[in-house]
Amino acid sequence: MNVVSARGLVKQHGHGQGRVRAVDEVDLEVPRGEMLAVMGPSGCGKSTLLHLLGGLERPTGGEVWLAGRRVDTLSERALARLRRRSVGFVFQAFHLMEELSAAENVELPALLAGRSRREARRRASLLLDRVGLAGRARHLPSQLSGGQRQRVAIARALVNEPLVVLADEPTGNLDTAATLDVLRIFEELRSAGQTFVIVTHDERVAATADRLVSMRDGMFVDDTRLAGTGTGWLGGLAGLEG
Amino acid sequence: MGRTVLVFRLVLADVRRHKAQAAMLLLAVTVATATLALGLSLGGATQTLYEETRAATAGPDVVALAPDPGPDVTPALASLAHAPEVVAHNGPYRIVYATLTAHRTASLVVVHGAADKPGAVDRPLVTSGHWVRSGGAVLERGFATALGAGVGDRVTISGRTYPVVGIAVTAATPVFPWAPQIGPGGGPSDGGGLVWLTQSDARALASRDLPVTMAMDLKLRDPAATEAFIDAHRHTFNTRVNFHSWQFMAHQDTVMLNDTQPILVVGSWLLSFLAITGVAALAAGRAAEQTRRAGLLKAVGATPGLIAAVLLTEYLALALLADALGLAVARLAEPAIATPTASRIGGVGGPTGAIIIATTVLAVAVAALSALPPTLRALRTATVTALAVTAHRPRHRPWLTALSALLPTPLLLGLRLTARRPGRAVLHGCSTAVTLIAITALITYDAQPRWGFAQHREGWGPGLSGLPDLRADHDGRLLLAVSVLLIALATVNTVTLTWSTAMEARANMAIARTLGATPGQISAGLSIAQLLPALPGAVAGVPLGILLSGQVTTLPVSWIAAAALVILLATTALTAVPARFAARRPVAQTLSAEAA
Repeated sequence: MNVVSARGLVKQHGHGQGRVRAVDEVDLEVPRGEMLAVMGPSGCGKSTLLHLLGGLERPTGGEVWLAGRRVDTLSERALARLRRRSVGFVFQAFHLMEELSAAENVELPALLAGRSRREARRRASLLLDRVGLAGRARHLPSQLSGGQRQRVAIARALVNEPLVVLADEPTGNLDTAATLDVLRIFEELRSAGQTFVIVTHDERVAATADRLVSMRDGMFVDDTRLAGTGTGWLGGLAGLEG
Repeated sequence: MGRTVLVFRLVLADVRRHKAQAAMLLLAVTVATATLALGLSLGGATQTLYEETRAATAGPDVVALAPDPGPDVTPALASLAHAPEVVAHNGPYRIVYATLTAHRTASLVVVHGAADKPGAVDRPLVTSGHWVRSGGAVLERGFATALGAGVGDRVTISGRTYPVVGIAVTAATPVFPWAPQIGPGGGPSDGGGLVWLTQSDARALASRDLPVTMAMDLKLRDPAATEAFIDAHRHTFNTRVNFHSWQFMAHQDTVMLNDTQPILVVGSWLLSFLAITGVAALAAGRAAEQTRRAGLLKAVGATPGLIAAVLLTEYLALALLADALGLAVARLAEPAIATPTASRIGGVGGPTGAIIIATTVLAVAVAALSALPPTLRALRTATVTALAVTAHRPRHRPWLTALSALLPTPLLLGLRLTARRPGRAVLHGCSTAVTLIAITALITYDAQPRWGFAQHREGWGPGLSGLPDLRADHDGRLLLAVSVLLIALATVNTVTLTWSTAMEARANMAIARTLGATPGQISAGLSIAQLLPALPGAVAGVPLGILLSGQVTTLPVSWIAAAALVILLATTALTAVPARFAARRPVAQTLSAEAA
């Protein structure tokens, strides 16, 4: 069963002569448990595609489906509710709330989803432990390294057990060691059945995915299955570590 | 010269980029300086008006009033007329205590028996019609205005009808409604209007068993020596004689404005506070931008002095322009506010040098208090840091975060937004308190029972109404005007504060939306962030407003409670629009901008 799918997805920016198709007639299917990497040069429409899949932007045309439910026609309110339970975002710039500690940042989506404070705290504690930051729960983002911040962001994305994690250049601001940490966590999650769509222009990160889609000028130009080819997760790690 | 031109061009460019903020600073400071200038001008204005009227009407230096009937009155007044200090006199003449009705309105009135041709002392200035003639009445202008009567109308004085032949002003009595000076028999006066009849008409009126006081206007050799003259003659007669000096009458004129000045001066303080609140919120909202601007200027070699000049000149120049506007507004409004009665002639002089200094200090203080902190911060920030500066990072407040986690989402967001900028929350609370102070004072003032002036103690009977209480009406109108200005500024402040909060928190709100907060929850959170500090503000504003109202005998509790509720509802409504607008900004766009 597809967790995420898109049909004829189009996103236009601007009007008249200045009109640009950031996403141009894209069809996509992401089955449960798959880690999909979307690659392409800057400005090719990768991030826009991710925003469309997560309901952060509305498409100009086409359809977006999440867990069998069409979402591009939903109201803002319904989209927000859908994001709470079904989508986890990880951004290149982390986008943590600077005045909240690591644990408080992770708790927030759980609280927004209506969970009790105790339950939100329990989940945050578990997830911070899982990403190796149990000892940093009370630290503010400004007291953490880039890699640690991204791990907090990953824990936050997972706190409501989403159907899919949408990651936009998750290692774009990280050094090699931190990138490795993040990819290890992604692999653990993938092994546990978590679905991912990762936008990246780092080939080493893309190589860790099950499937790689290449984008150019808003369109998919290549769709390659990597798992089992020897260039998948382990190959990616080897590349990084090499 | 080049440096000045550079500063001017940079300031002008910034004002052009932030027109709305410049307009708000201009409006806030104009309102505050105009109110202060008016408040400070009033004392001098009434004095000026009395002196001009006194000069134009040959006003007496002393008025002697003999309230008791008897044979000793005439010799007593005659001896006063011949006292060595006296150079001229008018009278003796009768003052008859009567009632007057016109246009279904009734009033107590004193009738002066006047000579056909006024003498050297007290020559009332006829402003309409002509002076008294047999069978015709001349009304004092302040009284006529309150009555709505003019030349050609008919008035009934204690049962006899007279045509109004003229309207005049005099400096021999205080302004309406204090023309009687003393009551019948020398007792306290309930106030009333002044009418002149011929001496024979006044005598005929007095023959109807109406109370009479004999009076005489005196001109002294030394007009400043009235107290010495009164002391010398106070107890030298076999009958009671009351003396009213021109200084006393001039002072009595100011009684009309006794409450006006505090309303304006206190109003100007409150308006200034709101001006500082609003402008400080704007300045704080632009702090990061100003710091980056300072960094840019430093990077291209500007000295700290030049940077300070660029950052401060904008606020100072706008504040000084607003000061000039405020003084001009005060000059235009002063005649209407300083002369609630039409009993005096002449014009007011406008703000004096001292008042101009006071308002300029106020304007500069508003600008300095608002702009200095962000300017100093910008100057102290290192160039590289300044170029990369973002909005000031809020403090971590674990107890508040934990507390808010127990609350529903809008409250959670609202409380956390409030906690991001506690200083701004305090300002907003104070802004709400100021609004409530004004409204509570207005409601409480309006609810006080008033005896009124020129009213008959037993009432006027069916079909007749008394004159309005000029002083209370004047003060009520002024209090209303000041309250409206305060509410207008507080409204602008509320919208500004909400918008500043929304703009500063836009990244966090966008993150919250990616995590599943709905636009409605964000919008409600932003509104609640303004409502939370407004609540204690409203609670504090009510007692302060009652305190400011002075002597309170009736407390309109339900009205005040309703006002507090309306303010909170209005805050919610006012914040809803910018909050809703801010909550619907595209999330992806906001996050991309923040990441850039």
